Amino acid sequence: MKAHRNPALSRFAVLASTAALVLAASACSTSRQVGGSNSAAAQDCGGKSTAQKQIDAVWQKAGANLGLSGLRPAETNVCQVDTSKYKKNGPYTIAYASQGPTNSWAMEADYFIKNEAAKQHAKLLYASANGDAGTQVNNIQDLLAQKPDALIVQPMGSSVVGQVRQAAQRDIPVVVCTGRLPDGTPGVVSTVGRSYELQGTLLATWLAKKINGKGRIAILSGIPGVPTTEYEYQAAKKVFAGYPGIQVVTRQYTHWSPTEAKKVAAQLAVRYPNLDGIWTDSGVSETGVIQAYQAAHQKIPPMTGDSSNAFLRAASTASGVQFAQSAYPPEQTRTCLDTAVSVLQGKKVANVVEVNSAVYTNAELAKYYRKDCTDNLWIPTELTMAEAKKLKVC
Amino acid sequence: MTAATQSVTDRSSFAGARMRIVTSLGGIVIVLVAAAILTPSFYGSANLNDLFRQIGFIGVAAIGQTFVLLVAGIDLSVGAMLGLAMVVSAQLTGGHNDALAVAVLAALGLGLLGGALNAGLVVGRRVPPFVATFATFTLIEGGISAWTKGSPSGQVPPGLSWVGAKSIAGVPTPILIFVVLLAVAAFVLGRTSYGRRVYATGANPAASRLSGVPVRAVVTSTYLISAVLALIAGLMTSGYTGYVDNYLSHNLNLDSIAAAVVGGTALTGGKGGVGRTTIGVVLIAVLIDFLGLLGVGNAGQLLIEGAVILGAVWLQGRGRSAAQTG
Repeated sequence: MKAHRNPALSRFAVLASTAALVLAASACSTSRQVGGSNSAAAQDCGGKSTAQKQIDAVWQKAGANLGLSGLRPAETNVCQVDTSKYKKNGPYTIAYASQGPTNSWAMEADYFIKNEAAKQHAKLLYASANGDAGTQVNNIQDLLAQKPDALIVQPMGSSVVGQVRQAAQRDIPVVVCTGRLPDGTPGVVSTVGRSYELQGTLLATWLAKKINGKGRIAILSGIPGVPTTEYEYQAAKKVFAGYPGIQVVTRQYTHWSPTEAKKVAAQLAVRYPNLDGIWTDSGVSETGVIQAYQAAHQKIPPMTGDSSNAFLRAASTASGVQFAQSAYPPEQTRTCLDTAVSVLQGKKVANVVEVNSAVYTNAELAKYYRKDCTDNLWIPTELTMAEAKKLKVC
Repeated sequence: MTAATQSVTDRSSFAGARMRIVTSLGGIVIVLVAAAILTPSFYGSANLNDLFRQIGFIGVAAIGQTFVLLVAGIDLSVGAMLGLAMVVSAQLTGGHNDALAVAVLAALGLGLLGGALNAGLVVGRRVPPFVATFATFTLIEGGISAWTKGSPSGQVPPGLSWVGAKSIAGVPTPILIFVVLLAVAAFVLGRTSYGRRVYATGANPAASRLSGVPVRAVVTSTYLISAVLALIAGLMTSGYTGYVDNYLSHNLNLDSIAAAVVGGTALTGGKGGVGRTTIGVVLIAVLIDFLGLLGVGNAGQLLIEGAVILGAVWLQGRGRSAAQTG
């Protein structure tokens, strides 16, 4: 599950679609975001090698966890930003324009950033967009009116660029958290999060090697047009293109819905029996695959995804299933807050901060599966049991 | 209107209805033939099992929608009712069977409250059904969001898998449930005075009222029926996946209306029925399944579904025009 699953907006879209249906047309929309590359404003930016080394280390560590050596990111415009102009004394007031707790991932993400703010003795001005880009535009306006020292945005879309520009005009540094804004958006000091390109490349490389570089595979993506879906897919596609023996027979969307995933996977099992592998971008999709293949009494092909307890529970019921997981941790919002604090302390920060996460295969299922917790838990978690119970994920 | 013009209108209306049924059946045949040629795996037992389940899920919700459409209403809260059923079954049971009966009863009770709210707004306050049921949808969604702290997810009890994922004598339970409910609905609408009152209310509420039909009670009952059937569909779909799933309401809300309309139930009330809705349900489900097997992407599926619905609505409009000018 990703930061930008957007049920509230989707449901509004459903109603809009229903209205259109009644009036004789039917169309469906979900949240759409325009992504940009991970580059920040170019001013006061140097130290490329330091920033690149940090990113290289994240990629190498992720690859090493799956036994993949030499995994390297594409050349990107990264650097260390001089933030001395933002330096001020604490305690800090930091505004956080959140996606809002529209799913368990986002709920945990909010929890982590609030906790981190308390630890850093920072006052967090919080605003939930409830998954809606329009609401977030208003939220940022309201947050800026409270004159925060810094602004953290979990962007719901590029529509917030205008508000981010306003922050820049007021000399308020902006940290983009678990998402992206278009290239060159003024005021963005740093973009923090798990790299979409890493997720896509890592899991595709593992799958390609798992099937010895040849065979028929299917791709199950999330919501069409959403950056998380598209960037990860593009990265995976690039990897598969390097293996002439691999044939991508179909790409389908699961909308990160377990039901839709099960339905799509059931059709995969019928249409393409004996697939060699399934690349997915989500544990939700993987859960549907296991259910569908079990129902069809077919051997479950090797597959990939992010790391949810729901999937691990399903995998624990399926003997011999092979998978690779790369977590998209809700904990990364803590790094967003820490980065904002560093900016306000005048420390140099990378314009792109890529976050480490747990990467593992089915060999470590027993280590990661939390039988004592619900399917809402994102694995692994740094929540204590008391915190997990408070959030009702254990 | 003279007796002669009434007769012409009736004949035109009958011909229009027959044309819609024939068109829908023709659509099903075309898709089935295309599937035989292009995707022979369509007829494999695994796919047919899955298709029957989908017919069951859409069908149960569509029966309820048909009742509401017959009284010239529309129920846009079906999706929220589905969500409510799922969330209640997960939250009250914690994924265990122990409290399943209580959770089901609680879900039905809350659903009836939602249905009563719809009816209260439509009948009591004369709010247009589109607006009233949209308000209820929003209210329930808000309630679910508040209850689950914005995170409506979790496991549903394994006991529910009997109504969604299991089979009886090789036949998937969702379609069995649908067939039973369909038979009951067909009997009620076709063989009882209540059914006649439903049609009369939809065709001409003023005349029905003057004839002694308790129009308000009839309309109220249809919203209650729709709510309960939406909840049952929600419990079935939860049982199918085993998880609370926000996306479910998306599909079934839309498909329940589409199935009824494509089958030929009039949006203006008084015409149609669950038999026609069944044809619509089968057409929609077969089409979705076929397109999925073909590997047609989401955009393509929506385009084709949209075209089918447009065609159905166009036929309805054509039928009305023929009746008015005939």
